[in-house]
Formats: sequence, structure tokens, C-alpha cells
Amino acid sequence: MPSSNHLSAPVYRVRVWDLPTRWFHWLLASAVLAAWLSQGDSRYVDIHVFVGYLFFGLLVFRLVWGIVGTQHACFRNLAFGGHALWRYLITLPTKQRQHFLGHNPAGSWAIFGILGLGLVIAVSGILTLGGENQQGPVAGIFNFAQGETFHLVHKVTAWIMLALIAVHISGVIIASVLHRENLIRAMVTGVKQCPTEQISVASQAPVALVLLVVVIISAGGYFRGYLTATPDQPYLPFVGTTLPSNALWQEECDDCHLAYHPSLLPKRSWEKLLATQQEHFEENLGLAPEMIATLRTFALNQSAETAPTKTAWKIYRTTPASESPLRITETPYWQQRHQRLPEEVWKHSEVKSKANCDACHFDAPQGTFEASAMMVK
Amino acid sequence: MQKKHLVIAGIALLPLVNPPLVYATTAVEQLLVEYRSQGATEFTVEAGKELFFKEFVDAKSTQVRQCTTCHTDDLRQPGKHAKTGKRIDPLAPSVNPKSLMEIKNINKWLKRNCEWTIGRECTAQEKGDVLTFMQSQ
Repeated sequence: MPSSNHLSAPVYRVRVWDLPTRWFHWLLASAVLAAWLSQGDSRYVDIHVFVGYLFFGLLVFRLVWGIVGTQHACFRNLAFGGHALWRYLITLPTKQRQHFLGHNPAGSWAIFGILGLGLVIAVSGILTLGGENQQGPVAGIFNFAQGETFHLVHKVTAWIMLALIAVHISGVIIASVLHRENLIRAMVTGVKQCPTEQISVASQAPVALVLLVVVIISAGGYFRGYLTATPDQPYLPFVGTTLPSNALWQEECDDCHLAYHPSLLPKRSWEKLLATQQEHFEENLGLAPEMIATLRTFALNQSAETAPTKTAWKIYRTTPASESPLRITETPYWQQRHQRLPEEVWKHSEVKSKANCDACHFDAPQGTFEASAMMVK
Repeated sequence: MQKKHLVIAGIALLPLVNPPLVYATTAVEQLLVEYRSQGATEFTVEAGKELFFKEFVDAKSTQVRQCTTCHTDDLRQPGKHAKTGKRIDPLAPSVNPKSLMEIKNINKWLKRNCEWTIGRECTAQEKGDVLTFMQSQ
């Protein structure tokens, strides 16, 4: 049905974007935003990982929808060559600018760029999780060093993605102004206004509904552990491997402080600590030689060099070979990980000291120090 | 005669009724005997209490140290490790039945904590007094 604007030229309302395409767009945008906000903080790694899976799933959906979806969502209608892109861009500031009902060539290129780069980000994220954290679908396949490389790829491509999104948003604003049509609203309502009558695409609402239900069920399944968590039994999204323990180590160390797992310091540190037991942080432990021998064997067999966890590997890697720190808090990795914490944290009545790892790390007694296994106070 | 036998049997079986109390006493009693054999005389709650609250100045750090630094003024309350802040179970056997149970443990902590607090090992007299005081709590 034609309606009239103030110039009284006929205007036809045409549905350009089907519902699945629109919901995909805003879900993907939300996923990117959530991923950005949850990155770089170990407490929120599980959120970041879920959002990453969501992001990956949405991209796969869009690839399928680009083949079986409606007219303007289909990749074959977005396949503009470099020449078409160039012509669109150079005529954009002039009166000869071309208008497209669906995506213009610049928008199409942005879509392919975001989809392609998005896949690299999602896959490198899963590989990072598998290598660095030994979690997720590829846990155990890659080592920490490979995980670190994947992490670098993940970070660099994420930054490029941000730049691409900035270009995409600028393009939407510029095109909206120049073509005098609100492209953002069109992506919400699906409708554009045309001077000529055009065929609307089907709404495809059932597909959109299935997409939304799958997203909600996945989120519910992924985060269900939080529903049954109690203060005494906190939910740990990531459970690390079980590290070897030793009864004497547990008993003697735990007398005065958390029985720090030997994988938190290198061999040379344990040698020094056990050799100076008569001056153990101003206390003479007075342990019998045979006890020291047992503790020493356990410590040296399970030291940071064995790298059973990311934390152990990072501590070993970042501690200069010339140094034998006697405190875990003296290692560069510990300091780097805790540098952003305000001083008040250490004075908190339940933290008391930097030695009190388990005040915040739920799995400190196990020595795994998994991401997300942290109390937020 | 029958009654007397029953009383004797009852006394003999008493340790089975509340073993921890009896063993705790046994551990401390054994140690007190040992200390006496090392030349200590009579042990009193008062002397032990005085030692428990006495202030010592650590030569190296110049900080004041006393038993109460970690164990607090009230032995029935949990204490806190001076350096790490870790919780220490109450010393008083009346609230912590595990306290003063094992000779091995008592020896370990008396040695380690006398060295930290006083800067030397405690004498047999001091150990006997402080154990007598703790046991009374």
C-alpha cells in the first residue's frame, strides 16, 4: 500500500530483512559486545567462552542462511566484485550515487569480512581455550605454548574485528545520511521505504523463533551450575586436572598456611626453602631430616617445571632463571595477574594477607587456579 | 564387698567412657613427669598464665611477641597466625577436645613457638607451667 510523505510522492513499505537475519544481526552484535566486556578478566572467562560459542554458532547459522535464506540475506545477491564496490564508493558523494534495496556493495563486503574474520576469532578462541587452559572441545590436543600462539591470533583478529565494526557502523551512518533512509531502523523492523513497489521477503518468523529458543536453551544449559551453587559449594565452571598430593606436605604446610602446591614454584625455589627450614619466614620449623627428605622429593617431582597447569607453566616461564623466589607472590606472573587489584583487597577481613590464596581462589587447595574459580567480593 | 568390686570395676572402665579427656590428660601428665625428671619443680596455673601473657621483644624485628599474639587473650577462642592470618583452633581442651592430645604435637609446637616468641627453647619448668595453665582452660 503506497502512502505519502511530505513531498506527496508515493512511498511503498517493503520488508527487506527477514526476521532470522535481523535477530542474527542483533544477537551477533550483542555477542561481540559481551565478549569485549568479559575479556581480560579471569573471573568472567566462562561468560566469555559461552559468548564465543554463541558467536560461533550464530556465524554458522548465518552461513547456512546465506544459502537457504530470503532474497537480500542470500550471499549470491551480496556477491559484488571489487569493481562494483569501487563504483559505489566513488559515486557515493555525488548525485549519481547508487541506491540498493538490500545491502550495498560496501555493506556486503563488510558482511563477508565480519563473517570470515569472525570464524577465525571463534576458532582461535576455542584453540586458545584448549591449549592455554586445557578446557573445551580441543583440551589435551595442544600444549600451553601453542595455546599462547592461538591466543595472540585471537587477540589480533579481535582488534581487526573492532576496526571492521567501526568501518561498518560509520558506513551505515554515512549511507543512512546520504540515501536519506534509516538503515539501523530497517535492521530492527526489516522494513525500508521505496518510491516503487517491490516484493517483500517472507518474514520466516518460525526460523527466528527456533534460533532464539536454541540460544536460550544453550545459555540455560551452560550456566545451570550457578542455579545450584551455594556459598559453601560454589559453582566452578572449569575444573582442572587433579594434581598429585602428599599427606605429609598437606599436614606440615597446612599447619600455618595454605599448603601451596609445589607446581607454583620452580625446583630451585623449593631446594632453597627446604634447605632453610630453620629460618622459614622467621620461624624455625624444626622438621626431622627424614621429613624434609620426603617433602623435598614431592616438591621436586611436582615443581613448576612439570607444568601441569597454565599457572605453573606461566610461573616457570616468567621467573628469570637467575632468581629463586621464596614466595609465590614474588614471581612475575603472580604480580602481573594481581597488579590491578586495589590495596584494600589485601586488608579485607577474609583475605588478611597475600598468602591467603583460598580467600578468593576456590581451587587454591587443589593448586589448579582455574579461571573463573574466584570469589567476587 | 560386692559393692566395692562394682566401684572398682566402674573406675577401671572410666577411661572407655570418655577416652579423649583421659588421653589428653595422659599426654600432659606424661610430659610433666618428664619435665620433673629434668629438674623442674612444681607447676602452677599462675606461673603458666604469667608466661603465656608475658611480652618478649624480638631482637631482629624489635616487635613485641607473646603467646597471645597468635592465640589471643582467650584460649577458648580461635587464634590467628601472626603472619599468614590462618585460623588456629582454640588451645583450651574444654572447647577443643583435640588440643593437648598428642605428645608429638605438643613437643613440636612448644619447640617452634617458644623459639619464635622467646627466641630460645623453653625450659622444662616453663613448658610444664604453660601446659598446666592451658589444661586448666
